[in-house]
Amino acid sequence: MNWSLESAETAAAPQRGGSEMDEFIRRNVMMVKLEDMVAWGRKNSIWPFNFGLSCCYVEMATAFTSRHDLARFGAEVIRGTPRQADMIVIAGTVFRKMAPVVKQLYDQLLEPKWVISMGSCANSGGMYDIYSVVQGVDKFLPVDVYVSGCPPRPEALLQGLLLLQESIGNQRRPLSWVINEQGIIQREENEVQRVIRGPERIAATELRSPDEV
Amino acid sequence: MRVPSTVSVTENLNAPVGLAAVEHLRAVFGDRILHEQLTCDEIPTLWFARESIQQALTLVREQTFAGQRFEMLLDLTAIDERVRVNRAGQPASEFTVVYHLMSFSGNADLRFKVPLFDDDLHLPTATFLWPNANWYEREVWDMFGIRFDGHPNLYRLVLPPTWEGHALRKEHPARATEMEPFTLDDAQTDIEQEALKFKPEEWGMKRASEDSEFMFLNLGPNHPSVHGAFRIAVQLDGEILVDAVPDIGYHHRGAEKMGERQSWHTFIPYTDRIDYLGGVMNNLPYVMAVEKMAGIEVPERVKVIRVMLSEMFRICSHLLFYGTFAQDVGQLSPIFYMFVERERIFNIIESICGARMHPGWFRIGGVAQDLPQGWEVRIRELLDFMPARLDEYDSMVLNNGILKRRTQGVGAYTTQDAFDWGVTGAGLRATGYEWDMRKQRPYSGYENFEFDIPIAANGDCYDRCAVRVEEMRQSLRIIKQCVDNMPSGDYKSSHPLTTPPRKEKSMQDIETLINHFLSVSWGPVIPPNEVSMSIEATKGINSYYLISDGNTASYRTRIRTPSFAHLQMIPAISRGFMVSDLIAIIASIDFVMADVDR
Repeated sequence: MNWSLESAETAAAPQRGGSEMDEFIRRNVMMVKLEDMVAWGRKNSIWPFNFGLSCCYVEMATAFTSRHDLARFGAEVIRGTPRQADMIVIAGTVFRKMAPVVKQLYDQLLEPKWVISMGSCANSGGMYDIYSVVQGVDKFLPVDVYVSGCPPRPEALLQGLLLLQESIGNQRRPLSWVINEQGIIQREENEVQRVIRGPERIAATELRSPDEV
Repeated sequence: MRVPSTVSVTENLNAPVGLAAVEHLRAVFGDRILHEQLTCDEIPTLWFARESIQQALTLVREQTFAGQRFEMLLDLTAIDERVRVNRAGQPASEFTVVYHLMSFSGNADLRFKVPLFDDDLHLPTATFLWPNANWYEREVWDMFGIRFDGHPNLYRLVLPPTWEGHALRKEHPARATEMEPFTLDDAQTDIEQEALKFKPEEWGMKRASEDSEFMFLNLGPNHPSVHGAFRIAVQLDGEILVDAVPDIGYHHRGAEKMGERQSWHTFIPYTDRIDYLGGVMNNLPYVMAVEKMAGIEVPERVKVIRVMLSEMFRICSHLLFYGTFAQDVGQLSPIFYMFVERERIFNIIESICGARMHPGWFRIGGVAQDLPQGWEVRIRELLDFMPARLDEYDSMVLNNGILKRRTQGVGAYTTQDAFDWGVTGAGLRATGYEWDMRKQRPYSGYENFEFDIPIAANGDCYDRCAVRVEEMRQSLRIIKQCVDNMPSGDYKSSHPLTTPPRKEKSMQDIETLINHFLSVSWGPVIPPNEVSMSIEATKGINSYYLISDGNTASYRTRIRTPSFAHLQMIPAISRGFMVSDLIAIIASIDFVMADVDR
């Protein structure tokens, strides 16, 4: 869906006849399929659940504050209860004692719901291969996006959110109750970021020296 | 900043109160002192049999020595001694219970040990002497399976109630990947949830009084104002809080077990994540403890770099506290302002250490690398920028009438309460007692800096905040002295156990190359010893008690964290207040759950 915005002052007033009317309509009327419109709306109005486990939550909170400002991406309406949210960021280590609680909170999230696994602990247990830590939240929850880092920088979480939005934007859902097994139209399997960005990263030959600020 | 003095830190054994106590105990107990152990931290360490420990503890609790008292039970823990090799002279023991007592008035420590055997693991409780023994004893039961006779409720504290085994015993698996793969189906979730259910009867709580029925409210383990995975069950009469039971263990990352597995060097990053707002300040007690056992003296430059970075993290941590404290009592804006400074500090930290929250940048015998060129520019900018902002926050937060009414007179306690509950740091100073490890037992060169110890008078929520705010100003003062007087020299000691070792010498001949290779691959071998090292961390006294068995890894790593003690106190200071006051009290304590559960 391609569209652009124009400032109200500079936009010319519509005139009768001629191509200007066409232009006006082109600028103000969008012809899209309803399901595309719904996907677009869903993509840009994610409501995250206010949930944090450990260190990563501090960086997640940093992403909400002024310097990084998650609100720019339309996902700043943090909800205190899972029943009003549709996205959970598993920010931190998933502990054996905490796992049943996380599961219950996930179950209470509104459908359709998404999970971002933030940080090495939530991704795989990370540096904590220890008796009290679940080796990755995907042992009991379906994860949509994995954000790497220990803890990930706030920018990394923003990127994770953008990837999630992109993927939600590509999803199509039936718009009414359906009798047959239509269900969610599955998106294509996303390519791993390492593969997509690998060549670009390898191409970097000059790295900043740690001896200078 | 004064010229570095050659006078070393007061040695504990020579502190009059320590000497007097040991002499008195010798006179009273005679042969019943099984052994007097020498440790390299020079804390008098006396072994008592199970039969006499209660008498010894009572005596130390109630008597004065050289006019001073041992006010606080700083730590209580245990050691699984079954596979320890180097125990020369120590009484036979399979499990040893360790009491670490501290005298604030006399500035000394005292350590008691009790030998126990696996087939008969029990000893009398100390809960009637120090209320904070309660959680420590529950933790020892949870982790080692040692029972404390007479303990009011000896339930598991850290691990889930459904757990089997005791995690810090040597036979318990350390890795999750050594255990059965974790699964969580609906049936299992129900079992776990049922086990976590709060049952008031277990805690001796009544469900109703004569004229009203109590409500039980479960706060956490996921609640925006409990600052992490912390749960507290409260008993309410209307809106008045009758009693509360904190429940911890939702953030237990097994750091102490991890210390027995990682090499001395590779454990450093784990310390960063203990008080995860304290960053490299967590490295400090650990590396200093290892350095003490290894006999490493670090260069002056290392000391000043360490102090400078630690103080930056102190400011960072206090800013987060300040913002969330204001937020929890209803001010949403301050935290958005305060994160600006946090970002500035993280910029500096990142340009020096290469990471933001957990740089893990200190090393055994030094720091990871030298300061980069131009490091001081951004720090000077911060020093210019920040004082005015702190003044602005005073008018925004501390002078705000609503905040004052919400926090003044709420959750107050006295200095004596603080001692009884093991409260240290700003929580102790807010009661009007001037005690700061950096002044009383200077480490890493703090004796060379000019700074003040802010105190307050009332010990309430407001005072705890005010003390921390002033501490930020003092930290800025210390940082300024660091920038102005940064000594030149090495960023790493030339001691052979410095890790990673110095590369220059390894290129000279095959012998030094072999040593370098072993030291990098296996890590250094630290000579057998025991040491306890305490610092004034962001939240109070953080202490590492390390036991080396002459190996590449620690035999036992005990981490005494301030937040653990502070959380235990919540019910005692919040009874009779309203639920909304409880939120202010929790906010004023300034804890992070990783610092509680480790």
